[in-house]
Amino acid sequence: MTSRETEIANKIKPYLDQATADLKAGIVYRLQLARADALARLSDPQRIVAPVLAHALAGAGIAGRPSPRFSFRLWLAIAVFAIVAGFGWQPWRTFQDTREFEELDAQILSSDLPIDAYLDRGFQNWLKASFER
Amino acid sequence: MGVYQPAYNRRFSTGYSELASQQEISAFLAEVERRAFKQAMYAVRDDEAALDVVQDAMLKLTEKYAEKPAAELPMLFQRILQNTIHDHFRRQKVRTTWTVLLSAFGEKGEKDEDYDPLETLPAKSDSNAAIDPAVALERGQIVGLIEQALARLPARQREAFLLRYWEELDVAETAAAMGCSEGSVKTHCSRAVRALAETLSAKGVKL
Repeated sequence: MTSRETEIANKIKPYLDQATADLKAGIVYRLQLARADALARLSDPQRIVAPVLAHALAGAGIAGRPSPRFSFRLWLAIAVFAIVAGFGWQPWRTFQDTREFEELDAQILSSDLPIDAYLDRGFQNWLKASFER
Repeated sequence: MGVYQPAYNRRFSTGYSELASQQEISAFLAEVERRAFKQAMYAVRDDEAALDVVQDAMLKLTEKYAEKPAAELPMLFQRILQNTIHDHFRRQKVRTTWTVLLSAFGEKGEKDEDYDPLETLPAKSDSNAAIDPAVALERGQIVGLIEQALARLPARQREAFLLRYWEELDVAETAAAMGCSEGSVKTHCSRAVRALAETLSAKGVKL
């Protein structure tokens, strides 16, 4: 970096300092509030117990700091969860049904009883009567 | 104990103990909050977004790095601030898609409801209390032109310029805060100063 560059930069700097000093009162006030909020988190014992939850709540605006960004994230997460749950539920049910049929088929095939016996109404009546006895 | 003291710290950290106390963090944030806002403002060009960025950066500092030594706070805060500004742009990119889609449903009078008359009042400042109004006006105009020129700089050049010359970080600290090489910092700074000088010269501002 040349001395000329540094010289120009040093001449610009006081103007930037002035711009900072001339901030609007509303901005300065809100910066003070932001600082107070940050310091309140510092002295909040809950942040030590459950920092992750506290951060999530803070982001959600529940812990006193409104954050439209997190509400967007929250809704996005809910939407993604709903989509995943919706798409995931049907294949899961199909898989479960298939497994039940497979088990039933395996039991029937491995049984000594001929498969036609299950279709015979007389046999079912006999089976029912046997259990009742 | 020999704790590394960046050049930036020497500006305001005299008397800080090794581990930051609440008072030290408070004093540190009070010292940097206005400049942090301006840095964010030059980057995001929106008061509300800049305030959000500074608030996020302050919260991250107190929530995650409060146990760090006081000497590390300035560098940490600058890194957090720059990352938060970058996060803002990433989020904005995603949100723009939805905003365009949903903007048709927005109320036109919404912006006026948020109008706060307090924000139109200048803050009290001792710096120009005894300055001639004509001089103050001229300085104000130059400030405006410099801010416009800064806003027009490419983001990385502006970031390097502000960290290096305004925040008074040295080249290595600026590189660490920006997450780039020292050579890149020098290049960005050089280009930024040249661009600023040319823009201001074209506007008739003599530095």
